[in-house]
Amino acid sequence: MKILLIEDEPELRKSIKQYLSQESYIVESASDFITASEKSSDYDYDCILVDITLPKGSGLDIIKQLKLKNSKAGIIIISAKNSSDDKIIGLDLGADDYLAKPFDLAELNSRIKALIRRRSFDGNKAIVVNEITIIPEERTVKVNNEQVNLTAKEYDLLLFFIANKNRVVSKNSIAEHLWGDDSDQMDSHDFIYVHLRNLRKKLAEKGCTDYVQTIYGIGYNFKIN
Amino acid sequence: MKLISKTILYYLLISFPLLLLAGMFSYFLIKSELRDGTDESLMKETVNAKKLINAFKEPHTVYLSSDSLSYIKIVYSDKRSNIYSDTSIYDIPEQEFVRYRVLKSYHTSNNINYLITVSKTTLEEDELMEGLLSAFVMIVGFLVFAFFIVNWLLSKTLWKPFYKTLTELNNYNIKKREHHRFEAATTNEFNQLNVALNKMTEKIYSDFSQQKEFTENASHEMQTPLAIVKANISLLMQSSNLKEEEMNQLQTIDNTLKKLSALNKTLILLTKIENNQFQENTTIDFKETITKALSNYSDLIEAKKIQLETNLLDKLIININPLLADILISNLLQNAIRHNEEGGKIIVSLKGKTLKLSNSGEPLTINKADLFIRFKKDDTSKDSLGLGLSIVKSIVDTYNYQIEYHYENSLHTFIIQFC
Repeated sequence: MKILLIEDEPELRKSIKQYLSQESYIVESASDFITASEKSSDYDYDCILVDITLPKGSGLDIIKQLKLKNSKAGIIIISAKNSSDDKIIGLDLGADDYLAKPFDLAELNSRIKALIRRRSFDGNKAIVVNEITIIPEERTVKVNNEQVNLTAKEYDLLLFFIANKNRVVSKNSIAEHLWGDDSDQMDSHDFIYVHLRNLRKKLAEKGCTDYVQTIYGIGYNFKIN
Repeated sequence: MKLISKTILYYLLISFPLLLLAGMFSYFLIKSELRDGTDESLMKETVNAKKLINAFKEPHTVYLSSDSLSYIKIVYSDKRSNIYSDTSIYDIPEQEFVRYRVLKSYHTSNNINYLITVSKTTLEEDELMEGLLSAFVMIVGFLVFAFFIVNWLLSKTLWKPFYKTLTELNNYNIKKREHHRFEAATTNEFNQLNVALNKMTEKIYSDFSQQKEFTENASHEMQTPLAIVKANISLLMQSSNLKEEEMNQLQTIDNTLKKLSALNKTLILLTKIENNQFQENTTIDFKETITKALSNYSDLIEAKKIQLETNLLDKLIININPLLADILISNLLQNAIRHNEEGGKIIVSLKGKTLKLSNSGEPLTINKADLFIRFKKDDTSKDSLGLGLSIVKSIVDTYNYQIEYHYENSLHTFIIQFC
C-alpha cells in the first residue's frame, strides 16, 4: 500500500509518517507543490494526503492533475483552512475525504483505511480480526459467525478500535470520532464509557475475547496478539 | 424634545411677556389718548355753554341734551374749577349701566354763578378700545401661527439633510459589509457634519476590518502548530514505557489541547459568521432541523435523565444557510443540556414564527445582559467555552431575527422570533 503525503510542515510530516509507518504502508512525502506534482504524476499511489496551502501552489491543483490523468488514488484533503468552501471545492474536484487541522492521527488512520477499503476491488471487503468479522458495507459484526447487534455508536467505536488496533487511542480521539465537533461541547468521556461497556458486554456474550485494555486514564488499546 | 418644539417653546417663553408688556403699554396709551379726546370735546361743549350763558338776558336753567345729563344750573357758589369725573348711569331703554364722562365747571356771568355739567357716554371709546384689543390679539395670534408654519417648513426643508443623516446613522451597522457614505449636503454645517461622520465611520470600519482580519489570521495560523502538538501527543501515547503519572500528565495536555482547538475552531466560526462568509442560503423547514438536532442529542438528554417535551406545531419555512441553521439549534440545545440538572426538563415549542426553548436550572450568576457576550459564562460551568450563545446571537443578528431570554419558575427560556 503506497501513500503520498503532501504537507509543507516538516514536524507534522514526520509525525504522520511515523504513525502510519506502523501499518504496512509505504509512505512517501512531498513538501512543496512542484515535488508533489512530479511525484503524483510519475508514480501511482493508493492514497494521497494533500494539504491545500502549499509553497508554490495549491493542493487543489494537484487534485485537478490527478483527476486529469484518471488516477485511481484515493484523495484525502488535510487543511488548516477549515472553510466549507474549500471542502466543497475539493470534494467537487474529486477528493474523497476532508480532514481539518488539527486532526487526530488515529482519525486520519481510520479514514485512510476506510478509503482504501472502499476503493479495493478484490471483492473481499470484510475485516477479520481473530474471531471478529466486520462487513462494513452492511455495517454488520459477527463473532464466531454469530451476529452481534450493535448500536451505531458501538459499531463505529469497534471499527475505530480495529482501525487503530495495537495502539493507544485517547478518549478525546474517540469522542471526536463518534461525535465530531459536538464532542467539544459535552462531557463526552462518560458517554464513551457507557458505549464501551455495552460493546464489551455484547462481544463477551458471543464468547469474544476482551481485547480492550484501559491505559491509565488516558484511553484504550485494542490489543491483538 | 424635538428641535422644533424646543424652538417654539423658547420663542413663546420670550415673546409672551414681551407681547403682554407691549399690549399693556398700548392699551394705556390708546386709552389715555381716547380720554383726552373725550375731555377735549367736553371742554368744547363747556365753552359753548359759557358763550350761551353770556348771551343770557336773564338767568335761568337750561338743559343742553335730551337725556338731561348736560345742563346749566344757577348755583350759589363761587368755585372756579373744572372737575372731570366718571360715572355710571342706569340707562332705562338699554336696561344696563352706561359709563359717562362728566365735566362740571363753574361760570359767572352778570354776578350770577352757574354750574355747567356736560356728560358724554364713553360707549364709543370703550368699543374702540375693544376693537383695538381684539385686533391686537388677532395680530399676536397670527404671528404665533405664522411662526409655527415657518418653523415647520424650515424644519422640513432646512433641517432635512440633518434628519437624513440621523436616520442613516441610526441604521448604520458596522457588521454590514458595504461601507456607508454620508452624502454631501448644500448647507455648510450639515456638509461638515457628514464629512466628519464619513471620516469617523471610515476609521471605525478600517479598525474593525483589521481586527477581524487579525482574529481570522491568528486562528488559522494556530491550526498547524496545534496539529503538530496533537500528532506528537498521539505518538507519545504509544510509548510503552510511560509511568502512570506521565500518562496522567499526557492526559492533561491532551484535554487542554482539545479545549484550545475547540476554542480556536469556534473563534474561526464566529469570525466567519460575522464576516458573512456563509452566503449560500436555501429554503429549509426549521422544524425538520429541530427534529434532527433533538435526535442527535437524544443520548445526551437520556444520560442526564432529562425529560423532553416537544410541541412543534407548524412547519417553519425560512431562507437560511443550512449549516448555520444546524449550528443555531445545536448550540441552543447544548446550552439547555449543559446547564440543566439531573432529572430536569427541556421544553421545545415552535408556533408560527416563534421558537421557545426552556430548560430547568439554577438562576444565572452573571448579568442577563452579558449572556450573549463572548467568554462571559456562569461560574458553575468550568468546561464551557462561553462562546455557544455568542454564536447563536451572531447567527440571529445575521438574519435579523430577534432573541430574548428570561428566567421564570426555575426555567431558563430563550425565545427566537424568525421574521
